[in-house]
Amino acid sequence: MLALPLVLYALPALGHAAADAEAQWARIPGDAAFATVLRYEDGDGTVAVRPFELMTRPVTNADFLAFVTRRPEWRRGDVAPVFAEARYLEHWGGPLRLGAQARPRQPVTHVSWFAASAYCESIGARLPTWAEWELAAAADETRPDARDDPAWRERILGWYSKPSSDALPDVGQGTADVHGIHDLHGLVWEWVEDYAAMLVSADNRQQSDPDRLQFCGAGALSTEDRGNYPVLMRIAMLSALEADDTTANLGFRCARDIEGGTP
Amino acid sequence: MKRLSSLACLSFCAAFLLAGCSEHASNGTANAASPVGTAPATDTGGSRKGDFGPPQGEPVEAVLTSPPNVPPPTGRTAPAKVIVNLEVIEKEMPIAEGATYTFWTFGGTVPGSFIRVRQGDTVEFHLHNHPDSKMPHNIDLHGVTGPGGGAASSFTAPGHSSRFTFKALNQGLYVYHCATAPVGMHVANGMYGLILVEPPEGLPKVDREYYVMQGDFYTTTKYREKGYAPFDMQKAIDENPTYVLFNGAETALTGNRALTANVGESVRLYVGNGGPNLVSSFHVIGEIFDKVWYEGGTRYQENVQTTLVPAGGAMIADFHVEVPGSYVLVDHSIFRAFNKGALGILKVEGPENLAIYSGKEVDSVYLGDKVASLAPVQTAATSAAAGTLSLEEQVDAGRALYTGTCSVCHQDSGAGMPGVFPPLAKSDYLAAHDDERIIRIVLNGLTGPVKVNGQDYDSVMPPMSQLTDDEVANILTFVRNSWDNGGGRIAKDKVAEVRAATPRAEGAAH
Amino acid sequence: MNPASRTLLVVLLACASALAAAVQPSALPGDSVYRLDAAMSDQSGNDFTLAQRRGKPQIVAMFYTSCRYVCPLIIDSVKGIERALNDGERARIGFLLVSFDPARDDTAALRSVADKRRLDPARWTLARTGEADVRRLAALLGVRYRALQDGEFNHTSALVLLDADGRKLASSSRLGSVPDPAFLAAVKAALAAPPASP
Repeated sequence: MLALPLVLYALPALGHAAADAEAQWARIPGDAAFATVLRYEDGDGTVAVRPFELMTRPVTNADFLAFVTRRPEWRRGDVAPVFAEARYLEHWGGPLRLGAQARPRQPVTHVSWFAASAYCESIGARLPTWAEWELAAAADETRPDARDDPAWRERILGWYSKPSSDALPDVGQGTADVHGIHDLHGLVWEWVEDYAAMLVSADNRQQSDPDRLQFCGAGALSTEDRGNYPVLMRIAMLSALEADDTTANLGFRCARDIEGGTP
Repeated sequence: MKRLSSLACLSFCAAFLLAGCSEHASNGTANAASPVGTAPATDTGGSRKGDFGPPQGEPVEAVLTSPPNVPPPTGRTAPAKVIVNLEVIEKEMPIAEGATYTFWTFGGTVPGSFIRVRQGDTVEFHLHNHPDSKMPHNIDLHGVTGPGGGAASSFTAPGHSSRFTFKALNQGLYVYHCATAPVGMHVANGMYGLILVEPPEGLPKVDREYYVMQGDFYTTTKYREKGYAPFDMQKAIDENPTYVLFNGAETALTGNRALTANVGESVRLYVGNGGPNLVSSFHVIGEIFDKVWYEGGTRYQENVQTTLVPAGGAMIADFHVEVPGSYVLVDHSIFRAFNKGALGILKVEGPENLAIYSGKEVDSVYLGDKVASLAPVQTAATSAAAGTLSLEEQVDAGRALYTGTCSVCHQDSGAGMPGVFPPLAKSDYLAAHDDERIIRIVLNGLTGPVKVNGQDYDSVMPPMSQLTDDEVANILTFVRNSWDNGGGRIAKDKVAEVRAATPRAEGAAH
Repeated sequence: MNPASRTLLVVLLACASALAAAVQPSALPGDSVYRLDAAMSDQSGNDFTLAQRRGKPQIVAMFYTSCRYVCPLIIDSVKGIERALNDGERARIGFLLVSFDPARDDTAALRSVADKRRLDPARWTLARTGEADVRRLAALLGVRYRALQDGEFNHTSALVLLDADGRKLASSSRLGSVPDPAFLAAVKAALAAPPASP
């Protein structure tokens, strides 16, 4: 009689352990002056990024299932609507069941920023910032910064131009980049911690005419390198979102600080 | 002294009079030059006079149509509240025979649905972004008075909807398009359409109304190269399109999708230009526009052959058809029509009127390879992709391609022109030369004396290297199997081999 | 256990649960901003949670004390609303301003602003919370912001009206001491509604 609650208690912990054992981390070296596409008016076009650790692949359906198993307040149906809109995890078979439409190793989608933040916090991590994400995503298989290579841009643009109607492939396929990270491009859009900090006007024809009162202190962010369309489009996507939004092609991965890391 | 002063006075007066005369004269000329049939010298008042008060009656759901159709006139006499529901769908569709492209569309079509309202209407606009979309989208309607044309208010993530409301203060024909960063790419992928804001009294009635919108398309592939065609950002920045098309596909307005009308009818074309880059010199071969509301505005010009449609602009053209036949819509920057696909057909049926036009139908040179269905080419492409291409499919595809390309000189019957162009029918020259040789002739051209079927020819055949490998293979297979030529079959790999192994002549395409 | 004791036990248990139910507030609605379990402290150093703001409509905004441009305007805007209310209405509303900058806006800084602008502590709460919760609260209120390198912040400015249970009723980004008429109307309507029972 007593054994049952104990077993039930232990199960989520086992799931937790399984998810953690799966999650691998790679170290991304910092950059004291990373050239970012966002033209911050208080900077010189660069931003300091401390070294950090990033998950080698996005969080999967299986990972997220383990999370909601041990955290009932994040289950579909139980989650407060203010933290996740109606489509939250709609592709799963049930609140605790993946079902046929959601394979365990597919990146989890239909998750809100609140849910993604809560997941990362539950494993002692956090969402990456935009700058960290941009830094990590500049890499290709052989170089940490491949952004000048038209081939890097074309590959990403090729993914953007295909609609999302096909089923998502599993995470971690294909070659990792030079840091050992998979799927920063070509799989899903990913939440970042400060998606709301990109005060970019959604209509990018207005970059030089900011509404000063709306954005206290100065104008909205502008984009530095208009030729860097892949990054621009990612920023446009994130700027279109609210924290409780979910979409079929938006997932996330977590980041971790490194003790004592300096830029 | 008195004489001098009176002379001075006289000349002074004369100068004044002359000045007065010339002023009158210039007034006169000005009046003569002002366009006939325009609104009176006062203007319509623009947006200041475009607000007819609050909407009356029940809200109306706007009738949206897919191109080339146009919703019927609103018939309203008072401002109304009009509800527009427009959905953004990203989908892969054919851009040319055998070639596909991922279009981003308003309402599932390129151009997007046609919206028709009346000046003074209040439009409640709902923009939906399909959950399968990868990108966020918004809309900028050039007919909206307000920041971004609605773009800032309508930024919509996939699986979400936005709503904003505006009053259509200005009459006219306006472009709408997506304005999400990077705007050029969203427009280049087909995210544009037209919204007509009717003048309060409506437009004059016509028998047929059609919706045509030009756009330039940029792909990493070559013109008509089969298979999936990805978007090419660099070509878009360089303003070097692969395709220039009406209504988003090379065959959108040809063959059984041609526009139709009957002799004696009045036809109106609502013509837009989504760009993203090129300006259009719009012309209908064989017709003159009786009226052009240039730039989609309030005044019209009369008796126009070719009119400019700016990128991001539109115009309305009215004309009357008197004679049956196929009238060709083109961008008169003519290489775009024949080498990039900016070509559409208006097929007019009815009794001949020899008093107005007695010549043959304008059929062979311009239209051959368009009016003749290119469906066999599509079939062959599909089979080739699946690895099941048969001889018969190659011959059928080759026949469709031969017409209009080779038939111009060698004739549909393969008879050529005595003394000028050698025949291909029962040709001893073809029998005597192997596949590699005749492939080389097609790719590199042939100059100098040749003897075919006992006749001497000394002419110039231009290189046809703009034809793709499978097109050459299919055409030559057709030729070898027609007109008693003995048969044979040419594979596209062989053409590719020859193309790679022989140097191209100057002026050849590739 | 004899039957009498058992009955007594049952009655006691029933009373206890009834009492507990009476004391236990009804669950926060799913669309309430107060679902955010953030630990906050105000300009007098008192700790509180968002859920403790339940019971009265609130006007919530975000600011920081060293902000020179818009934040004084935000306070002016809320004061403008305060002035436009009658005494009865004023007694039934609370104003909550939360800092973007908990690192530099300590209790003393918050108190200093409250004193300088003469904000009545009966109604005005200037609060700070952890950085992660700042981000989350801003997300719930629809406020976007970014920390600049010099310690300033870029941020959108919105006054958000919450009902007695923490649900968003209205929001306005029109600033100035003359209140946005539509927003003011919403505030008055919220105050005219009978107070929500727990």
